[in-house]
Amino acid sequence: MDGVTLTAGRPGRASPRRRARPRWPGPARLLREPFTRRAWAEFGYTIACVPLAVAGFVFTVGTLLIGAGLTLTIVGVVIGPLLIAASTPGVLGLGGATRWLARRLLGIKVTGPPPPRRNPGVTGWFWSALNDATAWRTRGYLALKLPVSLVAAYVAGWFWLGGLAYLTYPLWWEIFHNVSYRADGVTHPDPVTNPGPFGSVHVLTLPGSFALIPVGVVALLAAPWVTSAVVAVDRALIGRLLGPVSMSERVQDLARTRAHAVDDSAARLRQIERDLHDGAQAQLVAVAMRLGLAKEKLRGAGAAEPDPAGAEPDPAGAGPDPAGAAGAGPRQPDIDRAFELVDAAQRTAREAIAELRDLARGIHPPALDRGLDAALATLAARSAVPVDLVVDVPQRPSPAIETIAYFCTAELLANVAKHSGAPRATVEVVHVPGLLRVRVSDAGQGGARPVPGSGLAGLAERVRTVDGRLDISSPGGGPTAVTVELPSHA
Amino acid sequence: MRIVIAEDSAVVRACLVEILVDHGHEVAAAVGDAGALRAAVAAEHPDVAIVDVRMPPGYTDEGLRAAVELRHSDPGLGVLMFSQYVETRDAADLLGASRGGASGVGYLLKDRVTDVGEFIDALARVAAGGTALDPEVVGQLLGASRRADGLATLTPREREVLRLMAEGRSNRAIAARFAISERVVQKHVGNIFSKLGLPPSDADHRRVLAVLRYLEG
Repeated sequence: MDGVTLTAGRPGRASPRRRARPRWPGPARLLREPFTRRAWAEFGYTIACVPLAVAGFVFTVGTLLIGAGLTLTIVGVVIGPLLIAASTPGVLGLGGATRWLARRLLGIKVTGPPPPRRNPGVTGWFWSALNDATAWRTRGYLALKLPVSLVAAYVAGWFWLGGLAYLTYPLWWEIFHNVSYRADGVTHPDPVTNPGPFGSVHVLTLPGSFALIPVGVVALLAAPWVTSAVVAVDRALIGRLLGPVSMSERVQDLARTRAHAVDDSAARLRQIERDLHDGAQAQLVAVAMRLGLAKEKLRGAGAAEPDPAGAEPDPAGAGPDPAGAAGAGPRQPDIDRAFELVDAAQRTAREAIAELRDLARGIHPPALDRGLDAALATLAARSAVPVDLVVDVPQRPSPAIETIAYFCTAELLANVAKHSGAPRATVEVVHVPGLLRVRVSDAGQGGARPVPGSGLAGLAERVRTVDGRLDISSPGGGPTAVTVELPSHA
Repeated sequence: MRIVIAEDSAVVRACLVEILVDHGHEVAAAVGDAGALRAAVAAEHPDVAIVDVRMPPGYTDEGLRAAVELRHSDPGLGVLMFSQYVETRDAADLLGASRGGASGVGYLLKDRVTDVGEFIDALARVAAGGTALDPEVVGQLLGASRRADGLATLTPREREVLRLMAEGRSNRAIAARFAISERVVQKHVGNIFSKLGLPPSDADHRRVLAVLRYLEG
């Protein structure tokens, strides 16, 4: 980009480099400027904005007036606001079109504000569309743009087109020159009035028309600067009204990206668990099964089982092979040894299967895919302390929230088992519209505190990442109740 | 006997077929999803269906639901479910929802299958109309039970016998496990039933249900 005094991308902000440049451009710059692409782009912008401005103004002001008018009547008191709410997408689209035009022709990189949070349901849509701050700022822009754009187009148009016309005035003289016929039969030329920046110039004859050429030259040389000046007003408006500058929009953007990150990580963990199940666990099970078959073959070949203290008792009543132990052939020690090895290998494989299973369950319990009630039922059954479980979840919250609720419950139950000394625990899970509440209580010794670095503190942090709450009621000696509240969606 | 297998992992499926064929059973079909399972059972009329709980397309409980349906439509079909994880609700669904209760029904962890003897024994029990519940399932049920005080009245040996009964084992199998005589086992069983106030049952699968109902409170 040329080092123009007006900076693109940050309208309204003075660039520190501006002060270092000379205020007036040198003669070479002056002569070059009208031919630069940038100058033409700005001129094109002023022209192209006119239809957009007209459409924007008509749409915005029109819907507002009609909507407001309808609201005042009894009949349309509901239709009015609905109309305004329904106009929001159109308004935002027009704002987007303006930004696109500005980006293509002016090089302004103003990113649009993030899309607003859509609340579910019809009333949610209505209020969010009506309260959309971005849309209101865009409406303001579109209302102001029409006068600004018309003035800009007129001024820029005069300088460019008018300058061009004056530059080539002699060529047009034939068309413009006036001749009037007076009574004495002699034609007298009438002056042609040509507006100029410092008063009109009257041209009588063809040679006189050459006098306008300097006017045209001056106009053309000044055109880019004038155009930039009028476009600067629009730039400022775009920057203030169409860009995402307000703090609340930044917050909205952050909330949206955070929700995305939370959901994304929950989905990834589920995928990891699925891959473990389909891949590593399946392979290990196959290995263990084949080793089991091998053991059977060896038993059939006469292997003597190793000392069964610690090995599983055989419920099928097979027992040690009666003929094998007595008939020890020369290969018997090998076969016995082979059996030992295969048995040990199978035990290792089984342990690995169990460990992988616990690992996968710690990453993402598969029952969670079916819902909190199924997952919590298994959690309660496996808990070290007996658990009274009450689950009332008519509609499922989002998977990420279910995951957080599950692991919170698991951690809290582990705490009950480790610290409370209570014989039982109670887990209540309730899902009302918009809120999931999990409560783990016990009649133990109490005294639970969210010490920094403890599991409870970590739980509170994790709950806060989705704007949830953790309440602890645990007086020393008294019953303990920990309540976790989570939104239905991250 | 004729068996149909439904298991989505090809590697495990192949191993199952190997084990079954090795023990002289006929594998009429080995499929990978619930739809194919229904079709295979309808076409082949097997004695037992071995079904994985989690199968495509959703990988939640397609196998379980298919098994429950099959039990409804054909109570004579033995169904042995196996699963990577024991989910308490699945076992309850399988036993409770199917017609015929616990007769000819089994629920095993996949690990259990790696002990070939156990697996074949469970298969035989299910095919004969008995029950085969994974010890882990029974352990969960015992642990979660509200009947802690009732269970506390049992001697340790009686508690072990109760556990094996809940798994669906016959008196003879229990006797073999503890290297005692069947008559002693019968005595233990009688004591258990009277201490817990359970109605006397003759068939193994009926007493499984009685025990389970007791444990669930």
